[in-house]
Amino acid sequence: MRNLFNFIIRNSHWLLAVLLVAFSFYLVFTYNPYQRSVYLTSANNVTGWFYSLSKDVASFFHLKKNNQFLLERSAELEREILVLNERIAILTAADSAEVKAFVNDSISSHSQFDFIPAEVVNLSFSGANNFITINKGSRQGVRPDMGVISANGGVVGVVVSVASRFSVVIPVINPKFRLSAKLKNSENYGSISWDGTNIRDAQLQELPKHEAFHKGDTVLTSFSRIFPKNVIIGFVDSEGRSKDDNFNTFNIQLATNFYRLQNVLVINDTYYEEQKQLEDSMWQ
Amino acid sequence: MKLSNIYEIVLFVTLILLQTLLLNRITLFGIVTPVFYIYFLLKLPVGRNLYFVIFSAFLMGLIIDIFFNTPGMNAAAITIVAAFRKSIMGLFFEREGYDDFVPGMNTAVGPFVRFTIFMVLLHLTLLFFIESFTLFNLKNTLLRIVTSSIVTIPLIIGFDSLIFRRKPSEQ
Repeated sequence: MRNLFNFIIRNSHWLLAVLLVAFSFYLVFTYNPYQRSVYLTSANNVTGWFYSLSKDVASFFHLKKNNQFLLERSAELEREILVLNERIAILTAADSAEVKAFVNDSISSHSQFDFIPAEVVNLSFSGANNFITINKGSRQGVRPDMGVISANGGVVGVVVSVASRFSVVIPVINPKFRLSAKLKNSENYGSISWDGTNIRDAQLQELPKHEAFHKGDTVLTSFSRIFPKNVIIGFVDSEGRSKDDNFNTFNIQLATNFYRLQNVLVINDTYYEEQKQLEDSMWQ
Repeated sequence: MKLSNIYEIVLFVTLILLQTLLLNRITLFGIVTPVFYIYFLLKLPVGRNLYFVIFSAFLMGLIIDIFFNTPGMNAAAITIVAAFRKSIMGLFFEREGYDDFVPGMNTAVGPFVRFTIFMVLLHLTLLFFIESFTLFNLKNTLLRIVTSSIVTIPLIIGFDSLIFRRKPSEQ
């Protein structure tokens, strides 16, 4: 008996190790990106604050490049406004009073989508668990399930968990990410996923077999409650391997360069609640 | 508080900062990340209390996990390595009467290098296989183990030679 106690006492550090490893594996296996605890992720305010501090220093070195980009972008938008203004002028000058009323109405009323600008404070792209932390949270109106696009308009990912000042985004380059997509010149839908090899590429799967391969075709978002229609996801690059003979798979080059991602826009769909309510009511 | 406790706390905090703020940003070719924080386990004295070794390693893994958004993965890998640390040390260092002995480039070059290689390979193998539960791709996993080890091992040995320089009188 005494020997048994001695044995247990001498080896109790193994017990501690086994318990801690078991706890770790519990975390590994119960982990689900859609029900993540804010405390155990980089969305918690302590780690978020830490990351944003180091990001402040890092972003200082990119100021010049970013300024250049913003200038180009604003010039582009300025041009677009000019073109649109011209079109409005043409439409409002038309002879029918009714048309005039409609045009004014649709312009002055607020648009369906608002954008919340945010900065990336942390991003990992080395393994099977890529997540992005951004410096806007529930205080700035970010909610889970909001879409995120990069400053140049490419799809980045979807918000999964939100703290008061930070949020975690699941990016396209996470194996658990799915998004419905379509080719620009076709009416067929497929699904975007990532196979874990290269962060510049993703796969467009489940396309009908007759969908022809054209290098350079634009891949856009199709109907989803998260992204507006026709946001650029990427460009068709090569034909990929299909899991299944009935469907085609294309490799696409992503429009977002995750290596250089700094500024993002969170999409706030102001009609989201209404659409969700309506759709949920169908299930009751 | 003894001087050695302060040394351990400084090492613990420095390695977490180094890993999360600097090394995690370095990703070569999208697959290679230096996993440096295991250096903590290499630099504890041979005879350090086993509960302390295991628990502090677990804590470090968990903190790294929180920063990387990988719940449990680093914690599991580093805790397993910590549990076997004493047995592994027995393979490379003389055991008797060396409880305060801290392995390093300034004390035992050959055994320390072999010990480092063994520990890093063990840790990265565990880490990347645990990670591949969520995305199984054997070729990619093996490639990541090999390439990350190739980057991590020289980094640890270089860092150790720089910080703990051999005193001129000993040469």
